[in-house]
Amino acid sequence: MKRRLPLLIVLITGIFGAVAFFVPYPAIRAADEIMRNDVQRIIAAFSLVLGVGSIVQHHMLKIQRRAQYYSYSYITIIALIITAIIGVFGGIDVTRPGILPTRFGSFSIHIQTLYSNMMVPLAATMFSLLAFFMASAAYRAFRARNLEATLLLLAAFIVMLGAVPFGRLIHHQLPAFAEWILAVPNTASKRGILFGVELGIFATSLKIILGIERGWLGGGK
Amino acid sequence: MTLSTDPWIWIAAILTLAIFSFLYRENPFYRFAEHLYVGIANGYAITFYWHRILVPSLFDRVGSSSTPLSTKIWLIAIAIIGALYFTRFIPRISWLVRIPIAIVLGYASGASIPRAVSGEIIRQMKATIITRASFANWQSGLWAVIILIGVIATISYFFFSTERRGLLKPLSYAGIIFIMIGFGASFGYTVMARISLFIGRLQFLLGDWLGFIK
Amino acid sequence: MSSTHENIFLRLQRIDRRWIYLVLWLVIMVPLIFPFRIQPRASTPVAQLFNYIDTMPENKALVISVDFTPDTRAELQPMVIALLRHAFTIKRRVGILAMQVYGLGLAEEAIQQVTNEFNSRAQTHEDSVIYGEDFVFWGWTTPLLTVMLGMGERITRVFPVDYYGNPTESLPIMRDLKNYDDVGILVSIAASAMPRSWINFAQVQFGVNLSCGITAVSAADFYPYVNSGQFIGMLAGMKGAAEYEQLVEKRMKNKGMDWGLRNTGTEAMSSQTAAHLAIMVFIVVGNIAYFASRRRKK
Repeated sequence: MKRRLPLLIVLITGIFGAVAFFVPYPAIRAADEIMRNDVQRIIAAFSLVLGVGSIVQHHMLKIQRRAQYYSYSYITIIALIITAIIGVFGGIDVTRPGILPTRFGSFSIHIQTLYSNMMVPLAATMFSLLAFFMASAAYRAFRARNLEATLLLLAAFIVMLGAVPFGRLIHHQLPAFAEWILAVPNTASKRGILFGVELGIFATSLKIILGIERGWLGGGK
Repeated sequence: MTLSTDPWIWIAAILTLAIFSFLYRENPFYRFAEHLYVGIANGYAITFYWHRILVPSLFDRVGSSSTPLSTKIWLIAIAIIGALYFTRFIPRISWLVRIPIAIVLGYASGASIPRAVSGEIIRQMKATIITRASFANWQSGLWAVIILIGVIATISYFFFSTERRGLLKPLSYAGIIFIMIGFGASFGYTVMARISLFIGRLQFLLGDWLGFIK
Repeated sequence: MSSTHENIFLRLQRIDRRWIYLVLWLVIMVPLIFPFRIQPRASTPVAQLFNYIDTMPENKALVISVDFTPDTRAELQPMVIALLRHAFTIKRRVGILAMQVYGLGLAEEAIQQVTNEFNSRAQTHEDSVIYGEDFVFWGWTTPLLTVMLGMGERITRVFPVDYYGNPTESLPIMRDLKNYDDVGILVSIAASAMPRSWINFAQVQFGVNLSCGITAVSAADFYPYVNSGQFIGMLAGMKGAAEYEQLVEKRMKNKGMDWGLRNTGTEAMSSQTAAHLAIMVFIVVGNIAYFASRRRKK
């Protein structure tokens, strides 16, 4: 029951998902629309529970166990609660505030303000650190040890130079050559890889529907 | 230089610098900013899942007098299935979380199979095949031939079911050449991408905050 | 002498990573403050997309799907802004949506910025861009199948309310923007495989014209789709954004709208150039140090 029922559901919904594409019969189309707009959407909305629940559980455990740096977990939980309260009760449209006031004189604590001035700088800066790690890795690890690696390096250099306006000062055809590398040999190799990846995804999807691939069931009976 | 007087710009700048401090070494400012980000991001998601899915697609419809009773019961039933996600945190009945996952996963897998075959495999094969139209001019014809050879060579490189002898040997070697050029192109563009992200942050610090860039 | 060389090469190899960070920081910062003006020129995929939108029938709408999140804002947000400016300049209707919840705020930022640019300079009602008539922000819903397949049938069913909470049925723009049949092109701006999902779910079944603006990390992977004609052109990273900005600026000037708007993509090209050269120097120096010290060891 604990495994068979989910496997049966995955089989039925999987077949339905594929059939809806091929069968233009109005009843199937109508059922498919209900499946997408009601069933999938509402269930997907609840899936947030998994993400938020796991984060909260993780940090609560850290606090309980007084793990290393546990005091920072308070920050995550408090920030989560405050942001959610502001968003849910403060409303989304600035011109139609919710029950919670989000503007005090010229100072705003609206959800979009929090997003633009806290979430965006934090996320964008965190990812911008990659520029430094990449530069350091390029310096330390990128070695032209053989013909293949040298080819990789040359292609990278040409694309890097061709991608910036400075490239055409070196040679007026350099940007066009970089574009050619991307449009012809790169397209060929990426398409070859793409066929492999797509056939892999196709096989995995089929295995999920047929109950051969069961990793998604997780552990337990 | 005109320093910003907006308190929110200052908060954004301080948070930006807190994250950058990681470049020197891991420190409490970075840890604070990192934990803050996780909290805000989840709070933001809750807001929109609530306001833009649960309210219009579930609560408003169930609460509306114009919705037929059968539809209301149907929507409540779906919500109950959705709520089974909560069981993930109740060990005794945690297996029930498999039911909503099965509905989403099964439908998505089934719906994507025929579409991905058509959209990715068949269309890409069509684009690889050389036709008379490919030779509209000599250049496009030559590039089409190179792409065809490149695709076959790349695939043959990943063909491990038989020993690399005869034609397969040079073909798979040509494959590795194409793959390396492709990876080189990807690396070149990756450099551009990562640098862009840092430029974006400097544009903020030097422009919006410090006012060096107008 | 030989041991001095050996020392230099070994020291070059063991240099503290923070020196590399410092050099990179300076190399990028200085050209931002003192830029050298080299304007980017549009590459073929960028020009292809621009020309398609520019000559799109008047009754067709441009749909922009904001499929990225704040981490890639620097390279992708200029694309959204340039596309919005282009559509408003040539008076095409625009529909905006987000496929990721964290993309909503970015779409809202872009909309606020560009509508302010146009409306603050508008002399007449016709010059203004009006919400619900000239453009609509549908917001976000999930999962992607609901959106991509549902928009082929009826957009208002997928988005019963817009981002601001208005019932979409009540918006005048939605009378002639019912489904993909009314869409001239849908441009997915993404830092993931989302544009491929648009191909599989929106294009395969409904034949909608597609294009994409993609983070440079994935751009090379998307060339097969431009080659196959599944995407009408493509904007690749900040370079693509800068090139599109230049084309839009030219178009705006042609229409007498020489407003001198800030183009963050173009503005970044000096730093981008300097950084690319710096990375190349890093790689070359790293290789010289490695091979020289290896030869000496032998």
